[in-house]
Amino acid sequence: MTDEHRTPVSLSGLSSNDPRLQPAARHPELVERVISVCFIVGTLCLAGFGACYWIDAQPWKLGATLGGGLLFLGIGIVAWGKYLMPRGPFVEERHTLANSDADRRAFAAAIVERGGSVVQRRKLLGGLLGGAMGIFGVVVMFPLLRSLGPLPKKTLQHTDWRSGSYVVDQSGRRVEVGDLAVGSIETVFPEGTENSDRGQAVDQTVLIRVSNEAFTTMKGRETWAPHGYVAYSKVCTHLGCPVGLYEQELQLLVCPCHQSMFNVTNGAVPQFGPAPRPLPQLPLYVDSSGFLRSQSDYHQAVGPGFWERS
Amino acid sequence: MTSPLIKRCLAVSIISLVGLGPVVLFVGGAQASYKATPYQTSRKNAGTPNSTMVKKNSDGVIIAYGNSSITYRAPSAALVTLGDALFQQNCASCHGTQANGVPANGTAGAFPDLVGLGPATINFWVDSGRMPAANPRSIEAIRRVPRLTHDQALAVSAWVNSLSPSYPDIPYPHLKNANVADGAALFALNCASCHTIEGDGDALAMSTFSPSLRKIPSIEVAEAIRTGPANMPRFTGNLSDAQVNDIVKYVTTEIQHPNNPGGFGLGGLGPVAEGFVGLAFGVGVLALAGFWVGERDD
Amino acid sequence: MSDVINTKRAKKQALGSYGRVGKSLDELDDRLGLARGGRTFMDKIFPDHWSFMLGEIALYSFLILLVTGVFLTLYFIPSSAIVTYHGSYTPLDGQKMTQAFASTVNLSFAVRGGLLMRQMHHWACDIFVGAIVIHMARVFFTGAFRKPRELNWIVGSTLLILAIVNGFLGYSLPDDLVSGTGIRIAYSIILSVPFVGTYLAFWIFGGNFPGTMIIPRFFILHCLIVPLVIIGLVSAHLFLLVRQKHTQFPGKGRTEKNVVGSPMYPVFIAKTTGFLFIVGGITALLGAFAQVNPIWQFGPYDAARISYAVQPDWYMGFLDGALRIWPSWSFHSWGYTIPFEVLIPAVVLPGLIFNFVFVWPMIERKFTKDNEIHNLLDRPSNRPMRTAVGVTMLSFLGMLFIASSTDVLAKFFNVSLDTVLVAMRYLTVIVPILAFPITYRICHEIQTLHGGGRRKTPNVVARSAEGEYTATPSPRYVDDVPSHLEATPVPTYIHEESEESGESGVRVVDR
Repeated sequence: MTDEHRTPVSLSGLSSNDPRLQPAARHPELVERVISVCFIVGTLCLAGFGACYWIDAQPWKLGATLGGGLLFLGIGIVAWGKYLMPRGPFVEERHTLANSDADRRAFAAAIVERGGSVVQRRKLLGGLLGGAMGIFGVVVMFPLLRSLGPLPKKTLQHTDWRSGSYVVDQSGRRVEVGDLAVGSIETVFPEGTENSDRGQAVDQTVLIRVSNEAFTTMKGRETWAPHGYVAYSKVCTHLGCPVGLYEQELQLLVCPCHQSMFNVTNGAVPQFGPAPRPLPQLPLYVDSSGFLRSQSDYHQAVGPGFWERS
Repeated sequence: MTSPLIKRCLAVSIISLVGLGPVVLFVGGAQASYKATPYQTSRKNAGTPNSTMVKKNSDGVIIAYGNSSITYRAPSAALVTLGDALFQQNCASCHGTQANGVPANGTAGAFPDLVGLGPATINFWVDSGRMPAANPRSIEAIRRVPRLTHDQALAVSAWVNSLSPSYPDIPYPHLKNANVADGAALFALNCASCHTIEGDGDALAMSTFSPSLRKIPSIEVAEAIRTGPANMPRFTGNLSDAQVNDIVKYVTTEIQHPNNPGGFGLGGLGPVAEGFVGLAFGVGVLALAGFWVGERDD
Repeated sequence: MSDVINTKRAKKQALGSYGRVGKSLDELDDRLGLARGGRTFMDKIFPDHWSFMLGEIALYSFLILLVTGVFLTLYFIPSSAIVTYHGSYTPLDGQKMTQAFASTVNLSFAVRGGLLMRQMHHWACDIFVGAIVIHMARVFFTGAFRKPRELNWIVGSTLLILAIVNGFLGYSLPDDLVSGTGIRIAYSIILSVPFVGTYLAFWIFGGNFPGTMIIPRFFILHCLIVPLVIIGLVSAHLFLLVRQKHTQFPGKGRTEKNVVGSPMYPVFIAKTTGFLFIVGGITALLGAFAQVNPIWQFGPYDAARISYAVQPDWYMGFLDGALRIWPSWSFHSWGYTIPFEVLIPAVVLPGLIFNFVFVWPMIERKFTKDNEIHNLLDRPSNRPMRTAVGVTMLSFLGMLFIASSTDVLAKFFNVSLDTVLVAMRYLTVIVPILAFPITYRICHEIQTLHGGGRRKTPNVVARSAEGEYTATPSPRYVDDVPSHLEATPVPTYIHEESEESGESGVRVVDR
């Protein structure tokens, strides 16, 4: 190990039996014995790793033998370098990176005069080439970006809920008016989409029964929750996580990701947390056979905000 | 001797403490005024059984309820007298001698009406030790060592049920018929959003919390799903008996006895715990190793 | 006859004084011209203060990432095609999932050593980013980023960003419930960019969320493109380090114009190789005993499913924390929306932080008006302003990390979740502001302390004849005689072709 209190000496001016090239440890034989033990243990561990692998042992045994082997070998090698190799400290001169003034001037001259003057004389060519490079830089981004995917157009503004869509659960079973008790929640989709990626990502809706009679969440939504079935988009308006956490006594829908809390009884208005907008409510009705169906699509885009969201 | 710079910095921090506080509270706290409602709703429609599994006779009376996945049994009528005595001793001081609730602090429904909630509801609360409540004023009763034995809990639920017989009855799941893979999928969709995917529970809105599922017998899991205690929603017609049976099997096997082939489970806390371990044990130990490998100064 | 008797000796003599090894080196020198450059390289002196080892932790965990990563690529299938899993893990048997998830479950349970490799890879990544952060902190607090090393600081900061990004891409590859939620959040963050957000999101993901393109694209980014850039930048980082030579702390015999330490060969190479093994060993032990990212428990990603208590991996925690505590400000007018509640914490804030990091050498140069070359490091307490700025920034980031675990804190301390969130909003502003003057003051206090930050040396207590006790600090080794550089003759076994300079003991090397 380097001895900080000794004066650093240059490496090259030393003879091979200089005391500064001797091992750093005061008892190198003892250290050597300790290092040998480390190496032996390390080798045994690594051999053990081989054996464990052979017999398909559990992962922790594989890892323990591998880790122990590497660790002991590492300790041995470091100890060798630290205690058995020449103690120092040794010194080396730094040379200034910067070259001489003459070299720097010659370098600058080469660039500015030799190269620059050529362009200076041909300003028109320089300008045209610059313009061409600019256009090239722009159009080369086209395939790199545009070919990756489609244009968004109006995709984000609509879901697959339509007028008359049957409300189904994730197995495709249609929800009937007698299914849920007050205080129940279910994740539902428009019929036909429950197995598709888009269906799950965009159309996912929570169906909550808040009462036995028709329920009004906000003015103008008197017909939207027949028999107390309220349906909100499950896609959080903050960052799109499914808002599946329903606390029936607090009447709160809590988003598990960043804990935005939406009040179920007044139109899923956010009470707390970072969500900026209420969850859109899906207007429902019950048809003559007792099945729940949607009156129309959501009246606004579902999910997190984006520039074109009106 | 404090330099002017330090004085300025201290002044800024004190001002921000006083000044920013209300600002932060204003923009952070209330987007809409929230009126606290009584924590226990009065539950109509609490006892609706799974509507697909009910057999009614010609008079419209329910005669059969349950199948090869779960058998529902009402507690024996012979327990009613014992249940009455136990109820008056342990529960009546809060819930009233007729189990129909007592207003507290002037708020109706604070100590709720238990009539017509079904034997499974009562049995869940008493058998899990949540009732008699350790702190009747807390927002959510915590699970603890039950004060009453299993049979005593059944007796209490028998007596309360006798006041107005209702559903759901005590569920007895037949786990041998359950499919644990279906249970895993259903758990992920319906339960993980509150109880976490590992089943450890966590803090929810206000001071409520979802409890850990690690030490719960199978009957209690089924009761909780069917009755929806406290803030937990109830699953009646939206989960069939086979599905509830699958979830119960998944919880009592995989959640409660996780495989953990990778080593210590780190408390099931996910990346938070992993970060601690990685930084403290990984980087920390290696920094210490570096301390040994390298040198120190004067 | 002498040829026959002395054949062996003659052969030995023919090889020269360094035997077979010397002969091979001669051959190499004939072809590559290695000798002088090799000797210079091996004589290179490395200062070996322990805080200089931190960057090596990062370097070696990156090597482990490469090795374990290659193993994983041989089994992982980066495809979103739906398959039915039939394997040894019963809770997933018969379930439909993406091939990416199924191949990861297969890796964990069916491939021998697969789970160990997966866990080592994940732990090595956590250690990698952590080591970069503390290495950066060391460089910052000791002022090693000053001229001429500003370029290296920029390269290193870019490496931090790339490491974080690659970590995110990597843990999202298995397409499990927890990391899939993270991808959904990433999609929404891209959406939030004004004007071009929807276009960028649709192009990067190949359509609306989730689509089928994102896993294959993440795979190529994570395994090929970003690692290539990282390897290139790491090489540049090391090249600059070798060319400009490492910095060192001031001390005995150390000046701005020299480097004091141990030579590259054999000491430094031995120590660093041993350290590589130690890093590998610790990573393997973590991979053996600490379960990480048990994706089989999470199940496959389904856009309608969610788990509570979901945080990203620790190095993304500052973004998650910022998103949780930021108020719900949103601009909505004239038919357009700018979701500031997403844009500011997830786009503007990291942009500001990293830009500040990148330009810090320029900022400091402007304020200190110091354009000198610095090869000696500062003690952090000797530069109170810089240290205070660093601690403020670290405490701000630390608060954001803590804010990402609000639900865990609420559970652990039995406090209402809302209270924890509001408290974090206060603390994230107040703690950094308080940290600044406190750190500044502490630095000044340390400066005034005699021998502050130094290791204690024993005092030699002597009693005079009159009975007076005096205590004088002693040198570390009582028999240490301070030597001075004496002119030593060049040993005969070193063949110097060029002229020695007039100074003693210093060899001048033409570059």
